[in-house]
Formats: sequence, C-alpha cells, structure tokens
Amino acid sequence: MAGNFWASSHYQQWVIDRQDLCRERQHDMKHLTEEEYQKVMILFANVIQALGEHLKFRQQVIATATVYFKRFYARNSLKCIDPWLMAPTCVFLASKVEEYGVLSNNRLITTCQNIVKNKFGHAFSGEYPYRIQHVMECEFYLLEMMDCCLIMYHPYRPLTKFCADIGSEMELLPVAWRMINDSLRTDIPLLYPPYLIALACLHLASIVKQKDIKTWCAELSVDNDKVMEITKTMVSLYEMWKIYDEKKEIQPILTKMPKPSPSRPPSETPTMQDANSQQQQQQQNQQLPSGGV
Amino acid sequence: MPKEEPTYPFCPDETKYEKLAKIGQGTFGEVFKARDKKGKIVVAMKKVLMENEKEGFPITALREIKILQVLKNDNIVNLLEICRAKATPHNRYRSTVYLVFEFCEHDLAGLLSNPQVRFNLAEIKKVMQQLLNGLYYIHSNKILHRDMKAANILITKTGKLKLADFGLARAFSDKLNRYTNRVVTLWYRPPELLLGERNYGPAIDLWGAGCIMAEMWTRSPIMQGNTEQHQLTLISQLCGSITADIWAGVDKLDLFNKMELPKGQKRKVKERLHGYVKDQYALDLLDKLLTLDPSRRVNSDDALNHDFFWVEPLPQDLNHMLSRHNKSMFEYLAPPRRRGPIQQQQGAPGAGPSGGPGGQGGPGGVRPAGHNPDQHFERIF
Repeated sequence: MAGNFWASSHYQQWVIDRQDLCRERQHDMKHLTEEEYQKVMILFANVIQALGEHLKFRQQVIATATVYFKRFYARNSLKCIDPWLMAPTCVFLASKVEEYGVLSNNRLITTCQNIVKNKFGHAFSGEYPYRIQHVMECEFYLLEMMDCCLIMYHPYRPLTKFCADIGSEMELLPVAWRMINDSLRTDIPLLYPPYLIALACLHLASIVKQKDIKTWCAELSVDNDKVMEITKTMVSLYEMWKIYDEKKEIQPILTKMPKPSPSRPPSETPTMQDANSQQQQQQQNQQLPSGGV
Repeated sequence: MPKEEPTYPFCPDETKYEKLAKIGQGTFGEVFKARDKKGKIVVAMKKVLMENEKEGFPITALREIKILQVLKNDNIVNLLEICRAKATPHNRYRSTVYLVFEFCEHDLAGLLSNPQVRFNLAEIKKVMQQLLNGLYYIHSNKILHRDMKAANILITKTGKLKLADFGLARAFSDKLNRYTNRVVTLWYRPPELLLGERNYGPAIDLWGAGCIMAEMWTRSPIMQGNTEQHQLTLISQLCGSITADIWAGVDKLDLFNKMELPKGQKRKVKERLHGYVKDQYALDLLDKLLTLDPSRRVNSDDALNHDFFWVEPLPQDLNHMLSRHNKSMFEYLAPPRRRGPIQQQQGAPGAGPSGGPGGQGGPGGVRPAGHNPDQHFERIF
C-alpha cells in the first residue's frame, strides 16, 4: 500500500514534540534518570528484536513492533502495563498488521519463554509469567492507546531510494541500514519523520565509509538542523554503548523501574473493588522486595 | 495486567452514540444505525466481533481500519472514528470496539430488490461511473477490494455511491504474489480465482463490477452457482469455454485440470443479456468487464473512458429518483420476496452441486454467499 506519509496518522498524530515526550515521562522520571530510562527502552527494543528474529520476521515487522512499544510508553508510565508483556503484544499486533501471516499463539509464548530464559537471564529471573490471553487483553489496550493508528512508515524505504539515487547501494546502504536499526533504540522514531532519519543515518554512514556525498546533500531541500539533531542523538547512543554493559547494569535499573502493582488481571478481579483494597495493595507493593517479577 | 488504568486520549466511548437499529451483518460483526448524542449526526457503527478468539483482535478488522484510514475518496465509505465499550462483566472484561462510519441510507442489493425503485439508463450510468471511480481510486492506491457484490455498494440518500466492507481487502504489489484465492463471494468470483490463481490483481474486482453492472438490469445476481464447479459451469455458459486459445496460460492454473470445464461453449454475453439490456454501449462494456482472461479484462481507467459514459443519455444524478423513496433500503432489512416471473433464459446449469476438488460443497471458504437465507433471488441464467 503506497499511501501518503503527509496525510498519514503517523505524520499527523505520531511525530511527537520532544517537550511533550518529556512531560509524559515525568512520572517515570521520579524513579529513573533519563539515561536509565533509555537503557530500559534499549533492553525492550532488544527483546522485540530477538523475538522477531526467532520468529523469522522481516526487519520491517520488527521495526513496526518496536515503534508500537515506544508509542505506548510515550503516553503511559512503565507501571501501566508490564513491558515484559507489552513487548510480545507489539510483536503479535505487528505480525497481523504487516500481513506476516497469523502467528500461532503457542509459538509466540514459547518463543518468549525461550528468549527470556536464554538471552535475557540477566534481566529476568524466573519463569516467563504471561500467557496468550494476557497478550490478547493487552492488545486491546495497545490498539486503543494508539487510536488504532497502525500504518507505520519506516526510514528503510527512503534510505533505499536515496542510496539508489547516489549510486551507492553496495557501500552506504548496509551501513546506514544497520544505523536505522540502531535508531530504534532511541526516541528518534517518535520525534522525526522517517525520511529525515534516513538522511541522518546516510550522513553518518558516509562519514564511517569516508565517502563524500556533500554535493548530493547540497541539492536537498530539508531541515538540516533536524538532520543534525538526529545525527547527534545517534552519536551519543554510540558513545554510551562503548561503556555500557547491559548484563551488569540493567538489573538495578529494573529494580528501580516503576511497576504495575501485583494485581490480578481485570478479567479475574472481583467486581467489587473498592478504593480501600487498592490502597492496601499499594502499601503491600511498597513493602515487597521489587526485583524480577 | 494493568492495575494502574492507562488513560486513553483518543478512543471515545461508545456511549457517545445512541443505537437506533441493527441494519446489517458485516464480515466481522453486526452493523447498527446510531446517532451522535451531541451533534445528532447519524452514523453506522460496525461492532468488531471477537468470535475467533484465537487470533486476538481480528485481522479483518485490522485490515479494514488500516486501509480505510489511508483511503479517503468520495466513492469510498468514510471511516469517521473508532470507539470502544468499557470492559465489563457482560463482555467478559474484554472491551468491544466499534468502527464508526458515515451513514448511507441504502445498499445496492436493497435497492435492486425493491421493484418500486427503477433506474433509468442515465442513472445506471451514474451508478457504474461512481463504482468504477471508487475502484480506480483504490487500485491506484494498490489496494484490492476482494469482496465486490451489490450488498457492499452503499448509496446515500442523495445518490452518492460508496464502496464498503474492506474486511477482505489487502494491499497488492506488481511482483509475483501468493495471495489466498478463497476470497470474493462465490456469485461474483472471477474465473481465475475459481481456477486457483494466487497471483491475481485488480482485474478480480472488475469482474465483480461486471456482475453488478448486469444486475442493474436483471435485478438479481446473474450467476448463482452452488459450488465452485457450478459457478465455473455458469461462467462458461455465458462467457464461452475456458481454453488456452482465448486465455493464454490458463492451462497452467492449479485447478484447470481438476475442474470440469464445459467444452464447445460459444461466448454469449451480449446475446444472453440482450433480453435485459437494450443499450449497445452497455452491452459492449459488459462484454469487456466479463472477459475471461484477467490480463485482457478492461481496467477501471479504460472502463471509465468507455463510450457508455460519454454518449447520450449522459450519467444523471440519482438524487431525484431516490427522493421519492424515504425508507432506508438495505439487503439485510429487505423482506423475503418473490417477484413476478421475468423472462427466463434457456440453459439450466449443467453440472449439479457435486462439488469440485476445491469445493467442500459450500460456496467458498470465506463465508457463504452472504445473502439473507430468506431472500429469494430470481434465477437469471
């Protein structure tokens, strides 16, 4: 489906202002520093990537799932819904929207269990607790939260076009492509339209490959300040990665992360739930040693 | 699961609308006529049924949502918003979702089933022009409708036509594809799908447009097969035998050798329809739409350029004709009916409902022919 990006819900509703994003995150920032928050987001982008790769998804589907995840938490605190549940839910929804074909329920949950155990043991201790009915319930929240804005435009397509135009499909395309994958570890997909992200990654790739594309860039009529902002964000991501060891550092951050109170799912909650019992639960929660779920 | 209730800045609650009546049954749920309590705008609300709970939120609903959010055109039904009902014990704590559309008073099947409604030639031209215009728009946006039939063609009280029900629609590419061929209501299903083609394109919707165009005169679906095999027999009797001579490569299709295809049939589209359709231009366009070979079937652009639309009488707004009818006409609401005999053509179906290799005796895997079982349709061929 070709569609028109400028008329899309992606452009009209989901290119968010940085200040808005900060405001929405205020609550989580009481518990986490900005860098810690970003590390949480990196972790779950990695979880979604691993899930997608195990399920043999195309990168486009993985990218869609990752941005769904970001959209949800751009408008909600991490304590609204456990990100360990939200991650497979985004994968589940993206597989349908991108016409990957129907994913068997068993396969999704089994893959989750395996990945959590084998790849993310440093971040998650114990058995993966969620089942497909949790995913389906969560899917509703996700859909509503996004106002059913399902179609996603990614930087991969403009990047491919730019590289073809420059005539550098062999040299720059694969490097810039991987950088776009990396941009999914940042807020960039929420803040900028995809063609600018593609340009920034192309720019960085040209520096890495020491290929001069200045004359090509000079003919573009785009907001160069934005491209530079994206480039800077990417560079600081790479700076951070140089010294960041997820395996060692993520556990204490997750401990601090605001979490949903350990309540039963709404479908199993008694209907007469008064404010009193909620309060009690909250108090209990504070006393509980937080840590892996 | 969430204890801390997330807030929803977007999806309004369904209580913003007041339901007036049930008006239909779509691919994935019931349709209601409803009124906005504040603005008093009348809308159609399509409830998303969570029948197949294994797949979560139904993929048909997801398709309809994502495709209609992109498609905005006068001849495409307008999706206004999506709203939700709160999770309560009544819906087993699963919130219900409604798609809210602009309201259209009639559907074409409902109008055609009412003998009081008479279309003159200029009005038929207007219907077909709008229908083809809608198809041109979706096809140029790389979308296939895949469920063309009279009941999915909505018409407002001022005579604006809207293609509706995108529950089976999907994006297509010009590359080699492997789509499912279990789409399109049997009576409107083109021969390539019946023969197992999976790499199909926009031409499948134009076959349906041809069936609908003929129906404007016959007032009943023109080929009412009981099985895939029977449908192919009816098609061959009208459009001539399906052979590699008139359709290059047809013998390569999966089911070509598995289906019983009548031999030695002459093409009789114009002759057989002449009893209903007197206009030569109309007959010629019908002949081009009901072309067996999809690669030679007329596309929507060329169909819109056909002389049919450009010679007197020119297409004429339905506004005036419809203003005489103040009751909503939907196929779903139409009473069981039996009309007086109309000229019956010779040529009873050859093969009985034996069921071909692809058919399980039903009219296709997607869903039954989609017509109210109480409905009686006059057999045309």
